[in-house]
Amino acid sequence: MLIRIPQEQARQLRRALELVGREPFRRRSWAELGFFLASSALTLAALVVLGAFGLAGVGLTVVLVGVLVLAGGLRVGRGLGRWQRALARQALGEDLAEPEPFSPRPGFFGWLRASLGDRAAWRAVIYFVAKVPLTIFGIWFALSVWVEALLALASPLTGGPGGTRFGVLGRTLGPGHSGGPGWLVNHGRVFAVGAVLFFVAPWTMRAVVALDRGLMRLLLGPDAATSRVRTLEESRSKTLDAATETLRRIERNLHDGTQAQLVALAMRLGQAKEKLDQLDDSAPPGDLSALRRLVDDAHRGAKEAITDLRDLARGIHPPALDTGLENALATLAARSPVPTAVTVSLPSRPTRSIEAIGYFCAAELLANVAQHAHASRASLSCAQHGPWLRIVVRDDGRGGATVCRLGSSSSGLAGLADRVAAVDGHLSIGSPPGGPTVVTIDLPARG
Amino acid sequence: MTALGTSARVVIAEDSAVLRDGLVQLLTDRGFAVLAAERDAVGLERAVTADPPDVAVVDIRMPPTFTDEGLQAALRLRRSHPEVGILVFSQYVETRYAAELLAGGAAGIGYLLKDRVADVSDFVEALVRVASGGTALDPEVVTQLMGASRRTDTLGALSGREREVLTLMAEGRTNSAIAAALTVSEGAVEKHVASIFAKLDLPATSTDHRRVLAVLRYLEG
Repeated sequence: MLIRIPQEQARQLRRALELVGREPFRRRSWAELGFFLASSALTLAALVVLGAFGLAGVGLTVVLVGVLVLAGGLRVGRGLGRWQRALARQALGEDLAEPEPFSPRPGFFGWLRASLGDRAAWRAVIYFVAKVPLTIFGIWFALSVWVEALLALASPLTGGPGGTRFGVLGRTLGPGHSGGPGWLVNHGRVFAVGAVLFFVAPWTMRAVVALDRGLMRLLLGPDAATSRVRTLEESRSKTLDAATETLRRIERNLHDGTQAQLVALAMRLGQAKEKLDQLDDSAPPGDLSALRRLVDDAHRGAKEAITDLRDLARGIHPPALDTGLENALATLAARSPVPTAVTVSLPSRPTRSIEAIGYFCAAELLANVAQHAHASRASLSCAQHGPWLRIVVRDDGRGGATVCRLGSSSSGLAGLADRVAAVDGHLSIGSPPGGPTVVTIDLPARG
Repeated sequence: MTALGTSARVVIAEDSAVLRDGLVQLLTDRGFAVLAAERDAVGLERAVTADPPDVAVVDIRMPPTFTDEGLQAALRLRRSHPEVGILVFSQYVETRYAAELLAGGAAGIGYLLKDRVADVSDFVEALVRVASGGTALDPEVVTQLMGASRRTDTLGALSGREREVLTLMAEGRTNSAIAAALTVSEGAVEKHVASIFAKLDLPATSTDHRRVLAVLRYLEG
């Protein structure tokens, strides 16, 4: 009777055989073997060095020098961790993120404190300690198979007994066969076993290396808390940048606007004053009209300075915001040169900072509409959706708005995105060429 | 006012329109010939190259980056047109800017706060001084340079009045101007100056800008 193997299963079987058959000839298998050997050597070295530091450190603790030795040992531990990471990157392509950098405060005690409290160094030391049983297991479970396979395959050439039978194989295959009667049969068997093991070895080694990968990810990369801290640090630095940028803008506006106007004002009044002094002595009547013109200019300059200063103060913190986002947005839209429809539906007031961020986003977006969009009308909506405050600015302009972070063309949108991200909010832009442009900002209403 | 004051040729570089117009009006009124009023450093260099004036009034912060374009342009002009006086005109005094500006010598260099324009006559006088190869430093600049000087120990040896005289000297004033400013006799000023030169171990010279140079060299050292 013919056993009919379904086609699908046959294909799967062929694929599995191909996979197993190809494995010993892939670079990856040999790289893993190489990694195991190299990292075992590194572990041995680490054990000796760190053990020496540890023993000396503990032994000398009474004379305080021990603390120094321990700190030195931890520095070495961190370095060994770096070597191990480099090894994993080279041999396995395993790209482990660097742990938090060693950044001691200046001075000797800063160094000592940072060294002894260096989490990355301690974790590296723990890694090498934990690596000891893993290495022993790897020799027993994986290296033995490789050695056996290679020796057995070589036995027809060397005429040797074929294999050392250590590790996991000692139990499964029984004691090794040696010469004597049935020599050929014995050698044939040894070779056949070697050939089979040759295809098994990559898999046992892969299992051991996989365990090591897990251990490295656990102990040699940044830990979870560090990762979170890093994210927070990034967002904090962006927030600080945004704050600095705001201050810079205010300074610029003051410098270019009010300050310049006041200087011009003082200049005109100074001129007028000197002309008045001259009038006292001898009064050529023609000078009177020049004097009047100077005073007129000064007067106009003073009024302009007042207007500019008011606009600037509003830009720093709009007074309307004190009574709520609704009022502030209504004023903002009314002041926009592009006709803007406003809809606000807020059942409760968001926190002050969220209100301010929302307001400035809306202001920046409306300013963009006025400056770049070539729009005939725009709309601004602000509504609460559960815990989120959603602000949408829409215009019928020419579109093509992007978040650009490069050089002088860096758009205000990039700054907005950073500002919004700083409070875990989100900004999205839909702006196909030809428009319309829709910018949606979601902010957590409770900050 | 020297005779040059009524005919000095000026180029202005100032990005604020209101100030630029004000300066043009003021200087024209005072008999200066304003050859060009530019709004950025590129325009300034073009104008000076096309028709070198006696003096250029240069704002430090100008487009496109609003940092120190004006100063950089002034330093370049100093090299390409050493005969053109440079009056740097800014709303802030930065010690580094002053040091860079004076590094090549104090002749024909001025650094004034914009506020000084309110005292029109003083400003015009300073501009004329720079146009004729002299020096005009804002008291603020001098104070900062003195503060930044590493020789505060020897400066401490000066009496209060001598410090005042030194400050005015570094601003580029003549003995008679210093005497007028401090309402003392010119002879008294001369005595103070001699004493300062002795205490600071400076070579005694008579030319105005050389005195400034000597003072500044000493302060920088």
